[in-house]
Amino acid sequence: MGGIARGVLPGVVSFAAIAAAWEAAVAVGLLNPFFTSQPSAIAGSLLAQARSGALLDNSAVSLLEFGVGFGAAAVVGIVLGVVAGWSRPVEHALDPFLWFLYSAPLIAFYPVFVIWFGLGARTVVAIAFLLAAPPIMASTLSGVKRVDAQLIRAARSFGAGGPEVLAKVALPASVPMVIAGLRLGVGRALTGVVIAELFGATAGLGFSIGYYGQLLQTTNMMASLVVIVALGVLFSEALGAIESRVDAWRTGPGH
Amino acid sequence: MTPTEAAGDARRAIRPAPGRAVVSTLSVLVFVLAWELAPRVGLVDTALVSQPSRILLAGTAIVRAGEIWTHAAVSLQELAGGMALAVLIGVPAGLVVGVSRAVRRFVDPPLMALQAAPRLALLPVLIVWLGIGMASKVAVVFIGAVLPIVVATAAGVREVEASLVQVARAFGARPSDVMRRVVLPATLPAIMMGVRLGAGRGILGVVVGEMYVSQEGIGHQIMQLGSSFRIDDLVFYTILVSAFGLATTAALRAVERRLRPWGEEV
Repeated sequence: MGGIARGVLPGVVSFAAIAAAWEAAVAVGLLNPFFTSQPSAIAGSLLAQARSGALLDNSAVSLLEFGVGFGAAAVVGIVLGVVAGWSRPVEHALDPFLWFLYSAPLIAFYPVFVIWFGLGARTVVAIAFLLAAPPIMASTLSGVKRVDAQLIRAARSFGAGGPEVLAKVALPASVPMVIAGLRLGVGRALTGVVIAELFGATAGLGFSIGYYGQLLQTTNMMASLVVIVALGVLFSEALGAIESRVDAWRTGPGH
Repeated sequence: MTPTEAAGDARRAIRPAPGRAVVSTLSVLVFVLAWELAPRVGLVDTALVSQPSRILLAGTAIVRAGEIWTHAAVSLQELAGGMALAVLIGVPAGLVVGVSRAVRRFVDPPLMALQAAPRLALLPVLIVWLGIGMASKVAVVFIGAVLPIVVATAAGVREVEASLVQVARAFGARPSDVMRRVVLPATLPAIMMGVRLGAGRGILGVVVGEMYVSQEGIGHQIMQLGSSFRIDDLVFYTILVSAFGLATTAALRAVERRLRPWGEEV
């Protein structure tokens, strides 16, 4: 498809140019590879880590923590968002807490979580959950709240009760906003996993960055970074694709 | 919608219904009260969840001792340094990316990748490059804040009305004049939004950076207090950091709203 060629090609060119410039700068001595490593070495390290199984192990640990934390955040965020979006008093009661959770640098609570859950996977999951839940809830809330009042009145006048209106009208209509929230949440959950692993863990991609950093093994450190960046792009692109699909059916005049 | 309903909605839009503030305040009060009472009746352990009255006492002691100000000063300097760099570099970069289609096509993919990735993962790399002192924290703040500023500025430039630019050109303005007199002022609200988003990332960056490796600063204190299980002091610090984050974002949002011609939200 032409669209894909136009969308992907400049990206490939751009990344290739960055890699080439980086490699060349090291080759002519502008950059010290001890500090910056170089793309060819990083690719080599990725291959070696893939062969030894370390790459898969670390990725599996991080992905599991991410999955549990983000999954829980999605469930809790959507449920709370629907309830708060549906009921004014609940919205107003939860509002200050949501605001606090949304704007505060929540990673400051990391030591509290270590006291509660100990050092390791459970704390990592908790941090990912705490970071991801607020945007999911906030987005769901505004999605449910902004459902076209006409639709609701039409359903009501055909005799639909509150729960029915919620299930058949309000929820389907707010799906795009929910997915937008999930998309924000994915990034924050990934950040939470990486940071919490950096602070205290025995396995995972974040852990491996910190570990190689302490050993001053820049190349291995960069290799883990590349994997994390790739995961971030992959997740956000995947949800972006779902987002545009889900949005397609409801676009029309008046929206 | 009946006219009275519409009027009610309009009024609500201008001034929030009084019910809102009451319900919100009540709910926070109930939360604090429950938190205070739960340990007293033995439901939870103050060693794990602390207690509002204990936090208040711990906070007074911390403020009296005065040590907190040196740490706050370090953190604020790191934050200010990183934010200043992010604005100085991010705004011009955003203007260029916004104006030039060619640059945008080339720069967008790496920008998107960095935007989607957890940039705080760069922390160990920055420590290797810049050491454990203030420089690495300034860099963390910069990396966190610069991207939202570039992206918002570029988006703002693209929304500048073409007719304004055309009029300026028609009256003989040079490209640099157009940039300085037309594009930049029209983009100011968008830039401010980038600064607000960036400040949130920056505050997170300072705290996380100091928590990771440092010898002073608020984040350093938080990590120290956590590892010595001083939960009352710890919760006071975390609430303080959160309140600072909340207040900064609110203040920047207020500035942003003033800059927007019709007070519209984005």
